[in-house]
Amino acid sequence: MKALMTSAALAALMASGAQAADLRMSWWGGDSRHVMTQEALRVCGEKHGHTIKAEFTGFDGYLEKLTTQMAGGTEADIVQVNWPWMPLFSRNGTGFADIREFSDQIDLSQWTEEQLASGEMAGILNGLPVSTSGRVFFFNTTTFEEAGVPLPTTWEELFEASAQLKEKLGQDYFAFNGVKETAQLLVSLQVTQMTGKDLVDPETNRVAWTVDELAEGLAWYGRMVEEGVLQGHEQEAGQGNVNLFEKPDWASGKIAGSYEWDSTWSKFADPMIDDQVLVPAKMLVRQDAVTEGVYRKPSMLFAISKNSANPEAAAEIINCMLNEPEGIDALGDSRGIPASAVAEARLAEAGAFDPKMKEAHDILMAAEGPVVSPFNEHPTLRGAFLDTMEEYGYGMLDEEEAAEIIIDEANRVLKGFDS
Amino acid sequence: MTRSEELDLTETSAGRVSGQAVSAPRPKGRGSIGLLYLAPYIVGLVVFTAIPFFASLYLSFTDYDLMSAPRWTGLENYVELFTSDRTFRRSLYVTLLYVFITVPLKLAFALFIAYILNYRLRFINFFRTAFYVPSILGGSIAIAVLWRYIFATNGLVNMGLGAVGIDPVNWFGDPVNALFTITLLRCWQFGSAMVIFLAALQSIDKSLYEAAAIDGASKWTSFVHITLPLLTPVIFFNLIMQMVQAFQEFNGPYIITGGGPLKSTYLLPLYIYDEAFRRFDMGYASAIAWVLFVIIMVLTLIAFWSSKKWVFYAGDKRS
Repeated sequence: MKALMTSAALAALMASGAQAADLRMSWWGGDSRHVMTQEALRVCGEKHGHTIKAEFTGFDGYLEKLTTQMAGGTEADIVQVNWPWMPLFSRNGTGFADIREFSDQIDLSQWTEEQLASGEMAGILNGLPVSTSGRVFFFNTTTFEEAGVPLPTTWEELFEASAQLKEKLGQDYFAFNGVKETAQLLVSLQVTQMTGKDLVDPETNRVAWTVDELAEGLAWYGRMVEEGVLQGHEQEAGQGNVNLFEKPDWASGKIAGSYEWDSTWSKFADPMIDDQVLVPAKMLVRQDAVTEGVYRKPSMLFAISKNSANPEAAAEIINCMLNEPEGIDALGDSRGIPASAVAEARLAEAGAFDPKMKEAHDILMAAEGPVVSPFNEHPTLRGAFLDTMEEYGYGMLDEEEAAEIIIDEANRVLKGFDS
Repeated sequence: MTRSEELDLTETSAGRVSGQAVSAPRPKGRGSIGLLYLAPYIVGLVVFTAIPFFASLYLSFTDYDLMSAPRWTGLENYVELFTSDRTFRRSLYVTLLYVFITVPLKLAFALFIAYILNYRLRFINFFRTAFYVPSILGGSIAIAVLWRYIFATNGLVNMGLGAVGIDPVNWFGDPVNALFTITLLRCWQFGSAMVIFLAALQSIDKSLYEAAAIDGASKWTSFVHITLPLLTPVIFFNLIMQMVQAFQEFNGPYIITGGGPLKSTYLLPLYIYDEAFRRFDMGYASAIAWVLFVIIMVLTLIAFWSSKKWVFYAGDKRS
């Protein structure tokens, strides 16, 4: 009788899924994300009978820590991974566990095929998109209203608005911001709108643009600096190595627009002083644009360690956080608007999203453009792009020379990934 | 402890008292106890210094991205560094410039302040403390951030210049000014060198100055012919320490300028960091680190070699 009861208990436990496991989860983020994620781990752990140790830091240093752990095979069972890091950690799809193997634990139908494809490396689903993020336009309506200028809807209107801002409010007013990565993505946006192509051709894994096309994008950026739409490299560097949202000129409205991640809405809106209003705006487009060229990508992914002793249990926890009511409620919008359909619907119904952030996200999702390659954010490729743009900005190179160097350097990086 | 060990210890004590320790039998277990005491240091030295030191030498001859096993590439990293890497050449030039400007400037300033603080003034202890404070704070991130705001285009320095009718200067946007600004931060942290100079100044026999004064020597003559020669061992010590520290500077340029503009403040430690942790090229980063190590070692050896000609120790018979 006793043996029968033991067998029945074991069978019941096995039927309920993975056995109780001790897991670890690592992520980066700010305080609110830390608090909400720990709560989600608590409720999901209780629901599924697992204990999960939280390992969290700020963004700075997370990549270094994760890299060291991955090298030693000591990464957490559940790992939050930035999308551009996937080629670094899992070039051939073997860096993390194949999530499709755990489709009994995770309801993959909550993601579109396109979303799941963005988490694949070499056809293997290595990471589950937690949310989708991308660059959208933010404008300070207070500054534009003070100058009596309507918000621009095309690039040419932006040039005109800039001239009027300077005339009516002062030469130290700038209609837009474009430095560092933002400058790079603005040039990329121009060339993408012009050609309909992303920087990297997925077929050949080489730069899809010609030197002339990229040179035209750079020249357009040069014109923006020349006409005072945005601050040039030298002027911007004069303020030191400081983020846009930390600059007094941003907070006071003297820089009246930028092209930023939709998920960073609060970071840019919160520092505004004197009741100034920041709004998300639709994509600005060229007159000859063949696409809006939206830069949209998974903002981050949850991956399961290939070294995990309890991958099924890890999969259960991921499913709970992203697809089950308890986890969805606890995790909230700590990672932006969720990619999981059920989570987005549940949180939207509960009114959990900042309306402006939701508006920015909706603009992002409604825009169209070619699929963006993660190599756009490869550190070496991006470094070469930014360094060359800086030399162009300081007048050391012309557009043609800069375009040629960027394309050569990018192709050199891409060649390293040839199988 | 066994009875025989007790006996051994007693004998040793007796030997010491009688001055015959050398001939006393070696106590059993003493060696292992000593090793036990040394173990934390030895383990730390081996695990955190020696192994990484030699591992980085090996890695400098490999292609290693942390994710896959290191692949032996021989001298490839070094060949690339010295033949085709524009960034390395720029970074090396900037680093050497930074060190050669910072170290003499900082030592001269530290000596100058120490000389003043050596006088018996009212509230001298307060001033000594006040001048030392920047050294405590100087290496911190907060001070680097403060520096960034002070020298920003619309920062405190330009506000001051504007008040006296001088046009604002683009401290961080101009490559020459940016390096100067970073250098200034380093020089501002002169406290530790100053304290060592101050201690050395106070140890100089006052009768030497009195004798010189009787012979009609001016303050400047006394400084050049008495103070400076007697300070040379301390100057030498400070020179080595400051040079090694300057070659390792990271926080200032990382926080204030991010290495820009145009890599004008991109010191080698920043380049090593970027290669290792942003581009995951550990092999290449190790090669740069070893080049930096060799440069520091060679310059230190040159300093030691040259010290025979200009450093004077107590009892030195040279005239």
